[in-house]
Amino acid sequence: MSSHQPSAINHQPSAGPVVAVLYGPGINCQEETAFAVEHAGLQAKVVNFHDVNEGRENLTDYQALIVPGGFSWGDHFGSGRIFGLHLVARVTDQLQELVSTGKPILGICNGFQILVETGLLPDGTVGKRLGALLQNKSARFESRWVDLVVTDTKSIWTKGLEGRVLRMPVAHGEGRLYWEDKSLIRPCLCYAKDGQPTEEYPLNPAGAPGGYAGIRDKTGLIFGLMPHPERASLDWHGSSDGMELFNNLARYLKG
Amino acid sequence: MALVNVYVQFKQDPEAENLLKALKDAGYMLTGLRIERVIRLEGSADTEKLLPMFVNPLYQTSSYKSALSETDGPIIEIGYQRAVTDPETPSVFDGARALGVDGLEWARLSSRYQFTGATQAEAERIVKENLFNSIVQTIITSEHPWDSLRPHGVPDGVKQFPMSGLSDAELMKLSNENSWYAPLSQLKALQEYEKKIGRPLTDAEIEITVQSWSDHCYHTTWRSLKLMDRLQAATAKINHPAVVSVFKDNAGGMKFYEDQVILIKGETHNFPSAIATFGGVATKHGGVIRDAIGFGRGGYAIGGSTIMGTMDPRTPAADVPSGALHPRSIVKESIRATGYYCNPMGIPMMYPAFRIHPGFPKCMALGHTMGIIPEKYALKLDVIPGDAVVLFGGRTGRDGIHGATASSAAMTDESVTKDAAAVQIGLPITERKFMTAVPELRDKECLRSITDLGAGGISCAAGEMGSETGVRLDLSTVLLKDESLAPWEILLSESQERMCAAVPQEKLAEAEEILRRYDIEYSIIGVFTDNHKLTAYHGDTLVADMDMPFIWKACPIEQIEVKEPAKIDRQVVRAVPSTPAEWKDAVEKVLTHFHCCDQSAAGTQFDSTVQGRTVMGPYGGKNGRMRNDAYISAPIRGKAYGAVATFANNVFYGDLDPAGMARLSVIEAIAKAVAVGVSMDDIVLCDNFYTPKIRPEVAWNLRAMVETISDLSETFGAPFISGKDSSSGTFKSDTGEIIDVPYTLVVSTTGRMQDVCKAVSKEFKKVGNRLILLGKFDASKLGGSVYLDAYGERGDKLHDWGNMWAKDLAVMYRRLNGLYWNENPIKSASAIAEGGLMLRLFEASIGSGLGALVDLSAFPDEGRKDGNLFAEAVGSILVELDSFEDPAKHFGGLPWLEIGRVIGVPEIEIKDKGMEVLQLPIADLVKVWEKPFAEVIR
Repeated sequence: MSSHQPSAINHQPSAGPVVAVLYGPGINCQEETAFAVEHAGLQAKVVNFHDVNEGRENLTDYQALIVPGGFSWGDHFGSGRIFGLHLVARVTDQLQELVSTGKPILGICNGFQILVETGLLPDGTVGKRLGALLQNKSARFESRWVDLVVTDTKSIWTKGLEGRVLRMPVAHGEGRLYWEDKSLIRPCLCYAKDGQPTEEYPLNPAGAPGGYAGIRDKTGLIFGLMPHPERASLDWHGSSDGMELFNNLARYLKG
Repeated sequence: MALVNVYVQFKQDPEAENLLKALKDAGYMLTGLRIERVIRLEGSADTEKLLPMFVNPLYQTSSYKSALSETDGPIIEIGYQRAVTDPETPSVFDGARALGVDGLEWARLSSRYQFTGATQAEAERIVKENLFNSIVQTIITSEHPWDSLRPHGVPDGVKQFPMSGLSDAELMKLSNENSWYAPLSQLKALQEYEKKIGRPLTDAEIEITVQSWSDHCYHTTWRSLKLMDRLQAATAKINHPAVVSVFKDNAGGMKFYEDQVILIKGETHNFPSAIATFGGVATKHGGVIRDAIGFGRGGYAIGGSTIMGTMDPRTPAADVPSGALHPRSIVKESIRATGYYCNPMGIPMMYPAFRIHPGFPKCMALGHTMGIIPEKYALKLDVIPGDAVVLFGGRTGRDGIHGATASSAAMTDESVTKDAAAVQIGLPITERKFMTAVPELRDKECLRSITDLGAGGISCAAGEMGSETGVRLDLSTVLLKDESLAPWEILLSESQERMCAAVPQEKLAEAEEILRRYDIEYSIIGVFTDNHKLTAYHGDTLVADMDMPFIWKACPIEQIEVKEPAKIDRQVVRAVPSTPAEWKDAVEKVLTHFHCCDQSAAGTQFDSTVQGRTVMGPYGGKNGRMRNDAYISAPIRGKAYGAVATFANNVFYGDLDPAGMARLSVIEAIAKAVAVGVSMDDIVLCDNFYTPKIRPEVAWNLRAMVETISDLSETFGAPFISGKDSSSGTFKSDTGEIIDVPYTLVVSTTGRMQDVCKAVSKEFKKVGNRLILLGKFDASKLGGSVYLDAYGERGDKLHDWGNMWAKDLAVMYRRLNGLYWNENPIKSASAIAEGGLMLRLFEASIGSGLGALVDLSAFPDEGRKDGNLFAEAVGSILVELDSFEDPAKHFGGLPWLEIGRVIGVPEIEIKDKGMEVLQLPIADLVKVWEKPFAEVIR
């Protein structure tokens, strides 16, 4: 029907703060993550780790860092292991500067796993691993839609969302958060059943203890989550709840 | 060279726990199971410094000796054979570089399984039946089984094969000895060519020719029967304005919106999947994804499918023909392989499906890719003499040699071991890197032409690209996994994850820079020439020097005899259910049939939302397990334009009538697209055939199938733009038993729709809405149905009215589609297929939490009452119409029946003339429906 005007969203990449969306071999969600950032009214730049490594790019030139999902280096020896190792071995100073200058950092799925491998999560200790994301209890990759309840709003990413239930997809094989020191774990987002955190499978596809799907560091600037907010950023995805996180970033960066 | 082993133990190990549970459930006597991972390192590297890569001390421990105690039970260690490169090896090198560790020369991985409570013999049986693939893996019995870990050896030189004066028998003997699998006519053509050029042909030259002339590459069967011509003529006649590229390229292309083209390709990988499922299925995906990347001047994959056909996985091992893998293993390994490949590729799963038929000891393994490319890059340019031949991606190894010729040969018991080299281990990370880089190479005009390497390897990719000009290669420049490759093997290797591009000289430096930035290995292996020859050197040694026209145009086509098969005459024996218990049994038999039951336990292992384009995934509805009729992508970011893919195939219908099966497959695929909202004007088709090895009756049926779909395509105005055939679906066991695959045709549609927000899904929407069965309906036509199969019958008549019926269907589909665009009164829709009306009622209920009340008296009296619920009225669509709408107003003049209403109680209620026939709570049905598949893959 040629007379019909298709639905379209108002999507105008704007001037202002620029967010680095980090690409490395095997990362595969950089495009849609960059789109969600732009959809929130920010600028996004996909930064290739190769260029960071060769000194052509510097992560501290950006106002925020997002490590998107994928299978960096094939997730060999542990999800996020080798990318984490590269980041710590080669750009520790840049990571530390991001932390010390209070720039927001987000890790989504593999990005979350990578942040944990660098030590940025749970506690901002670059080079010291204090947590891990272990294989799902089902020992399977789980691709599903889940409900997530916001249990903590002391992060810039979840500010103002207290008690909200957000709907997003998950897609991962290793999403079961593991820690030795519970005092370092600050859950913000939990797999939910009837609005309450749950360990019930498959509502909690990873079998994550406490239903923990996303955690923050003590400053609330660094945040990691297993679900994919960028895949729930438009109405026709079935949910645009994921935009809440990106909109929060935009509010924070634009003051 | 020092060899060091690092043993890694997990403090908690879900893989071991789940494996133990599965093995116990399967009846093995075990009390415990542990898995220890072993990393073997070679070189002078400081192992301590590498440990952070292999071990996270929070949840892992490591040691230089195995931590498993022999007293806890038998230990069996499994790793890849030395000729195979582990997928992780390149990452180890990369990690070592990051850690600043020098001196690492190679790394290999393996797993040590300890089976507590089992005897050594029992442990060996567990490994053999569940964990070990002898084609690519090996059991490692000592700490240092190899003096070096590297795959290495000394290559053979170039061999010559003088054929002059050889008799027919001698030629055939030569062909068999060298695994050429060439028919006599081709050998004689080679003999003739030798005479013409006045020197013996080299191994490489013969290999190039027989690969190019194999059925797999040259489609000799289809050419001989003139089937390609027939299908292509139909497409030409339709002259559809949306068609951009048909049949010639790696995939077919359809114009989309905003100067983009959507492409589609389906490809089977049956033979490798049948002998080594994991490797075969992984590389099935790798190959068909590369078809999208190698489309035009470089495309991008945005969707995938996996369709498997096996014997019933619940078949007792004794009933599986000797030489065939157990179907349960094929199903499980295929799921593991699809996840292993597609998830890291970041390609959303559009359609996962598992079908069973006793004719599938040689399984069907089909995969599709949907892709996108800017229209201005949708057509390849002719290469220009002087352009560089650039090979990039994975390295070249011994894997996959003779893949094309082996896949064209019948599978025999022997082939399970003999053609081991046809099986490869895919490396998705390698392919993912260049899938990201290719659009950048393309947009910077670095690619004059690009293609993937598949059958025939470098010879086919570079040769075909230069078929109108000429190409000269230096094989010594090719990066190898294995130094022992002979020149002909380098030329012919089908190693995965490689692409070949024609790069203009002035763009070479830029292309190299982009490849480096994406960490992609590449080499410049030659140059396009103008002498119409395929010439290959290895350093100074001439390996091949052949005339292009001989390779690409001189294949002798043998006449194929065609004979009409005997008609099958069968009656339906089964009686119509007469008691509520019999009705309930029938419903449950259909819902628990392997084809209708909940297969989401597999489907949810494949990422269906990656790329952020998914509008309608393979599953939807309230519990996320309702199978959708279509996959809908919104490929252009921020725009609601939809690319829609549907799939149809039936492995039972062909037992009755192959041509009828072909017709219904086309109709089902189109009906599904129409049901979600695609207009008849916006549909193109892709076919994938899998048929028994050719003989006169098979040729007859094959021809009838192709003629049918060609006619139908014309009637619908929906052109076939891509397709692939495999005529090798015959299995021969070691006892001489011959088993043919069922006549199989998978039809997929690619459609475009202007606004995905207008798409209609399957789940019920509102209590009280009218349920209308739209389409011609005959409850006595139960042939080939799941219902009859569940009771061990095939039946007689398909639910089919011949090719002219398509005219009526097209009218109906246009009318329905017209309703979708303004104040759409249609609230849900689902195309009828396997499982009939019953499965749709059930699915629409689980997807909504609502239920359905159906009155059988709404159906014509003369039909079978069970047929009302279970007949597979392909082409018909069950639609949910707003309660206040008048069906006659919308459907007047079309065949339609108002069969019931949506109800608020989650149950299926069937009445007949006011009498209760059946009342089944959805929750009870879900309990039986979700079981069969989950148990198979447990």
